[in-house]
Amino acid sequence: MSADFAFLYVALATYVAAGAIALAGLARERPRERAMLGLLAAALVLHGVALALRWQRTGHGPFITMHEILSSNIWSLALVFTLAAWRYRPVRAAAAVVMPILFVMMAWMVSTDPAAGHLPATYRTLWLYVHVSLGKVFLGSVVVAVGLAGVILLRRATTGLPWLAALPADARLENLAFRFMVVGFLFESLMLVAGAVWAQDAWGRYWAWDPLETWAFVTWLTLAGFLHARASLKLAPAAGAAMIMAVFVVAFLTFFGVPFVSMAPHKGAI
Amino acid sequence: MKLERLASLNLTLAGLLTLAVSVAVYAASKAPSPALVVAPLGLLLVNLLAAVATNRVFRANLPLMLFHCALLAIVALAAAGRLTHFKGQVELAEGEVFEGDVGEVEAGPLHRSALDRVRFVNDGFTIRYAAGLKRAETRNAIRIFDAEGGVTPLVIGDNEPLRAHGYRFYTSPNKGFSLVFRWFPRDGSAVRGTVNLPAYPANEHRQALEWGLPAGGPRIWTQLQFDKPPLDPDAETTFRKPGQHRVVLRVADRRWELAPGEQVVLDRGVLVYEGLTTWMGYTVFSDWTMPWLIAACILAVASLGWHFGRGFVATPWDAA
Repeated sequence: MSADFAFLYVALATYVAAGAIALAGLARERPRERAMLGLLAAALVLHGVALALRWQRTGHGPFITMHEILSSNIWSLALVFTLAAWRYRPVRAAAAVVMPILFVMMAWMVSTDPAAGHLPATYRTLWLYVHVSLGKVFLGSVVVAVGLAGVILLRRATTGLPWLAALPADARLENLAFRFMVVGFLFESLMLVAGAVWAQDAWGRYWAWDPLETWAFVTWLTLAGFLHARASLKLAPAAGAAMIMAVFVVAFLTFFGVPFVSMAPHKGAI
Repeated sequence: MKLERLASLNLTLAGLLTLAVSVAVYAASKAPSPALVVAPLGLLLVNLLAAVATNRVFRANLPLMLFHCALLAIVALAAAGRLTHFKGQVELAEGEVFEGDVGEVEAGPLHRSALDRVRFVNDGFTIRYAAGLKRAETRNAIRIFDAEGGVTPLVIGDNEPLRAHGYRFYTSPNKGFSLVFRWFPRDGSAVRGTVNLPAYPANEHRQALEWGLPAGGPRIWTQLQFDKPPLDPDAETTFRKPGQHRVVLRVADRRWELAPGEQVVLDRGVLVYEGLTTWMGYTVFSDWTMPWLIAACILAVASLGWHFGRGFVATPWDAA
């Protein structure tokens, strides 16, 4: 087994420990927020080492296979969430929602073929890094918002969860979630622009309605729809939270569903 | 009153959601109608213009106005691009000069061609393959000729097109072998030409083509035959011509096999097979709106960031 896999599996175990603390914390008067953040930070370091070692071994970044795409996104989502949770205390309880999402991605990742793929020539450009980085910040911001939205909905659906009960009012949480959605919207817009610049040089067209482009644009429209609805309809926090969840479903299916069913575009011609 | 109704924010929301559904349907359709996207875009356009005309708060919010103006500019530029763009395909054998002829053309009705001003010669290419015939780098040497008689050598390839007179020439995944013939008609002067076989290695087992000799000459079915494939699928390799090869010619029920330098005598003249070379496929593209589109997109994102940033700075995130 390559060293990168050893680091990866230790990192996954550490993520799981952090998630377990988050889920157990729901029932505690004094949740172990620092322990959770410490474990998340440790998992990120271990996972970062795993990605770097794999990068060195394969000669290219984690952009090609579904295993690599899931692995790098677990890392980037966890990074954005950890930074937000470290900076904004109300975000920490959202780990109870965010970590299960990451668990699903981890289970999916370990079920995929970990073999290295081939880096198409069209991927040898700075725009790949710009496009992918912007996309990761976009999805990371949306995931933080989803965590907060999940907390709002969980509070309505359950009682007796002291960690959630101690959080600020729904309206404040929803407003914080909205801010992360705005950040996500800005970064998704930039991701689309960077992707178009890259597509022009790589395939001689900046937009061709391929499935990934189409669904990235649909995601942009649904996110724009959410921002507009929030401004025009004066949504209640729970309604806003539900819309954030809906946007996330579209974004998640775009990121991970479309490449799963359609491998032709964004892969370069062989 | 009617204008205010058209400016309704609820109508904006309905338009956005309709556009999202229309885009998904448009992309999934085999023969989509542009009206699917144009209709909801038109609705949003009318809605926005009505909002600008009737909503003082909207007009007073400079960053929000800038954002929506940038969106309008993007739609207008995209429409202008569709009316004036150009896309086509061309194949050039090694040593062949591009002189403006492009096939598979898709152009807007207002496109004014300047392709006759572009002249360059394909000087050959190198393509590296990873094991499994997975294409890696493509490097294509060309020389560009300018109007004053100057010649500029250049290497183009992945992510690096030739830019000339508003056009971009991208090396396409299509490339292959060319058969070089010289035709000596009984009445007329000799003509040299190339026959570009189907793309290789994509059509490894279909290296045949039917073509016609000049001036209404007979149709000739031609096939390239080689004992050993030039590209090893199990190892790293580079694109190369087969070493030993023969060319099969068929005219009606007559058949010949030729090596380089050999010839056949036909009713109207003599056909000499001179040898094998390569051809490169190019995608030709032109759209003057691209830099303006990027500028409009950047303006849209910057102004929206400005709009939201003002509010976010006013209230700390912790106190949001």
